[in-house]
Amino acid sequence: MSPVLFQTALYASLALCALGLVWRASAWFRVRIGTDARAVTPSRRIVALFRGSASALFSRRLFAVLGAFFLDVLLLRRLYTNEKLRWLAHLLIVVGFTLLVLMHALAPIVSAKLFPGYQPTLDPYLFLRDLFGLMVLTGAALMVLGRRSARRDLTQTRDRFGAAFMVLLAFVLVSGFLLEACKIASPRAFYRMTDQFIGTSDPRKLAPLRALWASEFGVAFADMKRPIDPLLVEQGRKLNSESCASCHAKPVSAFVSYPLARMLAPVTSVLDEGHAEVWLLYLHVFACFLGLASLPFTRFFHVVAAPISLLVDAAARDRASPGQGFSSAGRASRRALALDACVRCGICDSRCSVAPLARYLGNPGLLPSHKLLATGALAGGRLLRTGHEDEALRAADGAFLCTDCGRCTSRCPVGLDLADLWEAGRGDLAAAGLPTPAQWVQARPALDWAEFLQARSGLHDLYDPDASSALLSAGRSTFSRCVQCQTCTNVCPVVAHSIDTGHGIDLTPQKVMNLLRLGLRDLALGSRMVWDCANCYQCQESCPEGIRVADIMCELRGLSVQRLGSVRDWKAPA
Amino acid sequence: MKYALFLGCKIPSGLPAYETSMRAVLVHLGVTLVDLEFNCCGYPARNYSHEAFVVAAAHNLALAERAGLDLLTPCSCCFGTLRHAMRFLGEDAQLRARVSQVLAAEGLAWSGKSQVEHLLPVLARTVGVDALAAAVRIPHAGLRVAAQYGCHALRPSDVSGIDNAMAPTLFETLISVTGASPVDWPRRLDCCGDPLHEANTALSERMTRAKIDDALASGAEAICSACPHCQLRFDAVQADSPDPSIRTLLYTQLLGLAMGLPAKSLGL
Repeated sequence: MSPVLFQTALYASLALCALGLVWRASAWFRVRIGTDARAVTPSRRIVALFRGSASALFSRRLFAVLGAFFLDVLLLRRLYTNEKLRWLAHLLIVVGFTLLVLMHALAPIVSAKLFPGYQPTLDPYLFLRDLFGLMVLTGAALMVLGRRSARRDLTQTRDRFGAAFMVLLAFVLVSGFLLEACKIASPRAFYRMTDQFIGTSDPRKLAPLRALWASEFGVAFADMKRPIDPLLVEQGRKLNSESCASCHAKPVSAFVSYPLARMLAPVTSVLDEGHAEVWLLYLHVFACFLGLASLPFTRFFHVVAAPISLLVDAAARDRASPGQGFSSAGRASRRALALDACVRCGICDSRCSVAPLARYLGNPGLLPSHKLLATGALAGGRLLRTGHEDEALRAADGAFLCTDCGRCTSRCPVGLDLADLWEAGRGDLAAAGLPTPAQWVQARPALDWAEFLQARSGLHDLYDPDASSALLSAGRSTFSRCVQCQTCTNVCPVVAHSIDTGHGIDLTPQKVMNLLRLGLRDLALGSRMVWDCANCYQCQESCPEGIRVADIMCELRGLSVQRLGSVRDWKAPA
Repeated sequence: MKYALFLGCKIPSGLPAYETSMRAVLVHLGVTLVDLEFNCCGYPARNYSHEAFVVAAAHNLALAERAGLDLLTPCSCCFGTLRHAMRFLGEDAQLRARVSQVLAAEGLAWSGKSQVEHLLPVLARTVGVDALAAAVRIPHAGLRVAAQYGCHALRPSDVSGIDNAMAPTLFETLISVTGASPVDWPRRLDCCGDPLHEANTALSERMTRAKIDDALASGAEAICSACPHCQLRFDAVQADSPDPSIRTLLYTQLLGLAMGLPAKSLGL
């Protein structure tokens, strides 16, 4: 390969990679998630990082950081406790890939310096290269299989760039094995070496060596007479030990490439004619460069972000209360970092408390991995663009239905504080006009809502033709017994404690029941009382006529989300 | 005595001491707890869609049914929600058919075999007051305690049915067993304010504060809760308030201390 081309491509991809890394890392100080992050400037966030790192490095917390580096970053402890198989797959990839990069890709500056006798064609390097490569391929295969089986259950986020990167990685590995196999089997490579080290490429002079290399080194000479004379092989062995053995072990220890070379034997002459050795090398090397240049722009950027996230957490960890060791500037950066550190493994989704709801409602926006993407999209302004209204509303539903059970946070293999991210995201959603239903419904008076509904679908909507359930609020018999005795109102703690002028309740429970009795359900839907109801069941328990007042209030809340939501006409703030 | 433990969402994230103390106490009383991977009981979804709430609850009920166990929950809100879902499934055949379809897609089914039990009646009746009395070693002599049931443990009585909803005595009996004295406080059956915490924070805090003040005025030294929502709400309102405060305890902690269990094993 032309050194100029090689170096140009290498430096170009290194430059792209470096630019990408800087761009992505700058987001950790630029992206604002959470209303508390808005007041913090990027420069304060950078200062907070340096101050925090310095204080951790010169304190006892340094041991926590070192511990996290070995256990969490290198050994992936958190993944181990969650999913053993995926842990194994990930470890195979990380260890295999790291060692391949160090021993093989960076051979001139690492292996050659550390091991004076290093030759890629000598054992154990010959063996190790194949071992490391196979580790990566096996790990990747396990990972793909694992993701396949997870996908059956839950809608995982689609990620074309990530998938393309996986294909590229596999291509690097496979092209490497093929390249090595081609070289092993290639008579052209054999003659090139004899020419260089023995001073001849005359097949007759090299007959003993050819016999040995054909029978034991896998070279596929097209003109080799079979069976090979054992005496000739023995003669070759002598020549081999004099001229070749010092830097060429038997390729049989390349336990993937050697069998591959044997399989390629019938087509070796074609491959040699076509200079396969040369273009495979180009493909292999340029695929590596492409991977290097594109790494920062895919989700595999997590190889940088996830360790940093784990180490930053360890550095700031306060034993008494995890996550409390951060300043507001630190918290802001930590949230932005979390967006990049997420590996999209989907473990959070599979353990999510509302996963059955997500499936039933057909809204993956309830699931943590999707919420993380939506939080990022909202912070980046993408969620609020025209045409993304549905997506934004689904994200708001996800935020509302989250129970804050914390399972995603406790299971996250990268240790992301997702609970904090959801809390911050809810603040951002509210600021974008997507608060909880209680807030958006109560932002307008009941009469306004009733007018919206009337304009769209008619006010008198007592017997909802769309209602598939036997709704209490729509039933003829539900209220016929109500004598408007006001017991429900008299026992209501909300009524008793509503002393605010202007923000008190608008309708008492008994008045809500009366509206329903009159068939004016849509007028009741937007009432403050419906969302200020504490669901304590005093009314229902005390009703002398056995009317299920609290159950009806619950039902009205659900109906107000659905029906008022349909006339809400939410638009992203300009 | 073997149950599938239904912790709900609030306890693991906000009040792990409830789980710790409950396990510590029940293991001594011969109650076996089985851990299944449950989901949200459906309580928050009830404010979103009636059917979605029933689906979420039924998913849990079906999981317990598959394991052949009844559910035991220390959360009054989860208890009420799961019981409500059973009621709706029982009285609405169309709903039941649709929910069954959703469950079937996940290889689950609901037939109503698994019952939903609250911690208080299981302690008072299944384990039994006598067994509790026998387990008590260090009675809380003279400690005046206000019992906080948690609304959904009591109301509506045709769903919960653990005691007379207007004049319950079950929790007071359980407090007496530990040697402590139950306090009669006028607001004992009132809502703690937690459900309104997000929708109307000021109103919610007034409700919580009124209960705390009432317990103090009635001479209580501690409020003892049987629901994580109430316990957390009392603690949150008292945390940043200059007003007089009262000690809060979970019933499993009160009982565990009386049984002579180390405070650490009770999350104290």
